Amino acid sequence: MRSCVMAHSPEDYVRAALALQGYRLDESQIADIVLQFSRIEALAKTMLEWPMPNESQAAPVFRP
Amino acid sequence: MTSALEIAGEIRAGRKSAASVLAQTEARIAALNPGLNCFTATTFDRARREAAAVDAARASGAALPPLAGVPYAVKNLFDIEAVVTLAGAKVNEGNRAAAADAYLVSRLRDAGAILVGALNMDEHAYGFTTENTHYGVTRNPHDRARICGGSSGGSACAVAAGIVPMSLGSDTNGSIRVPASLCGIFGLKPTYGRLGRSGSFPFINSLDHVGPFAGDVADLAAIYDVLQGQDWADPACAQRPVEPVAASLDRLSGLRIGILGGWFDDWADATARKAVTLAATALAATARVEMKSAEAARAAAFLITAAEGGALHGERLKTRYEEFEPQSRARLVAGSLIPAAWVVQAQRVRRQVYEEAMELFRHFDLLLAPATPVSAPLIGSESLELNGRSWPMRASLGLLTQPISFIGLPVCTAPLWPDGRGAGAMPLGVQLIAAPWREDVCLSAARALEQAGLALSR
Repeated sequence: MRSCVMAHSPEDYVRAALALQGYRLDESQIADIVLQFSRIEALAKTMLEWPMPNESQAAPVFRP
Repeated sequence: MTSALEIAGEIRAGRKSAASVLAQTEARIAALNPGLNCFTATTFDRARREAAAVDAARASGAALPPLAGVPYAVKNLFDIEAVVTLAGAKVNEGNRAAAADAYLVSRLRDAGAILVGALNMDEHAYGFTTENTHYGVTRNPHDRARICGGSSGGSACAVAAGIVPMSLGSDTNGSIRVPASLCGIFGLKPTYGRLGRSGSFPFINSLDHVGPFAGDVADLAAIYDVLQGQDWADPACAQRPVEPVAASLDRLSGLRIGILGGWFDDWADATARKAVTLAATALAATARVEMKSAEAARAAAFLITAAEGGALHGERLKTRYEEFEPQSRARLVAGSLIPAAWVVQAQRVRRQVYEEAMELFRHFDLLLAPATPVSAPLIGSESLELNGRSWPMRASLGLLTQPISFIGLPVCTAPLWPDGRGAGAMPLGVQLIAAPWREDVCLSAARALEQAGLALSR
């Protein structure tokens, strides 16, 4: 199934990314990772839709 | 359990020796740890040397440092000289032993405290339950069928069980506050950058905090004062001057307190809401406020955690996947695949959430919220029931803590007993949240709840 924030399904993306990064995992392990990535993607959706002006700065090293 | 300050006072007055206090601690570990599983290692040889040095100093008439002779233990992600730092992970067992103590361990050593061991945790601090596949589950001292919370579960358990009066933990997304809540003790997650982290195994560098647990507020404040200092080896340490709080806990009054609603009410069960109501009544707090960005904050914290954690362990995950914790290894690999644009967006959200919180602190000195959505779940629970739906346990216990640590605010967790203190009753903590660098406000509010007879460990 196509995802709302990715051009391909999470499974397609995970399989491609794992192969490109050099992981050698069996099918049950890949299924676990697809499930976890799908959860991350669902959470990302709420954040990626957060209204953000262009001038908004990142806080990569956070100093309150 | 005698408090840390009482122990230090007894030793200073010569009514007890450090060696006798240590012997009693060793006996408690032998009696209680087999059933609780909070220690993964003991350091008794070192402890005996440290106790002998304290007793010799007293015998010579030398002034004793503030925590002389007080036993303590640390989450096993802190370096202990000559001990392998596990960080809860079997995959680290083959690493070299630490060459020196972690910065915070050295602070406590210099304050005369006696290190008795290392404590169990979720692997690499990635979890909220301390159900560690390789080193076992740590059991809640109030009901051994239940979890302690995590990831600093061993640290909370050892204090809640009365084995040691104080311990150290770390908190990236809630790992001090969740176990403090579920075990019924006090925990302090200071402002991001306040306490030095060098010599502690990293989890998420941009979110990691370190801090203490204790059985009462006076102990917590005294330990926190000792831990403060400039850690030049930690690039995130703010290198601020020491700002002691222990002597001024009763001086703050007239705090403007806001009760966090919205997300922090929606994700709380009836017991958690009751804890907040009890605390709000005792603190005379009536204003309800909302942190509108809490959901986005939680999502962004989750993403940054997954991405940084995945990056930190990525190479070993490729070659030693089977040795990693089955409960978290798939999440770590998934995190290593997150697109960079999502992480950048999460860091931008972080700035916005911080600015919203600072606006709240223009009107309030302290924000109040539950520390956990529920009290301690049963060991092995895969889900928690909330709002008529089932949610994954391991991710959901941090729902109320993640938005706060995401922006580095200082928080003291105070233990309440919403269903009373009778047999079978379980604690649930509240978060006392202040503006950056105002740990004194968090601790003063905790002190007020303690004096009202509401916030107590047992």
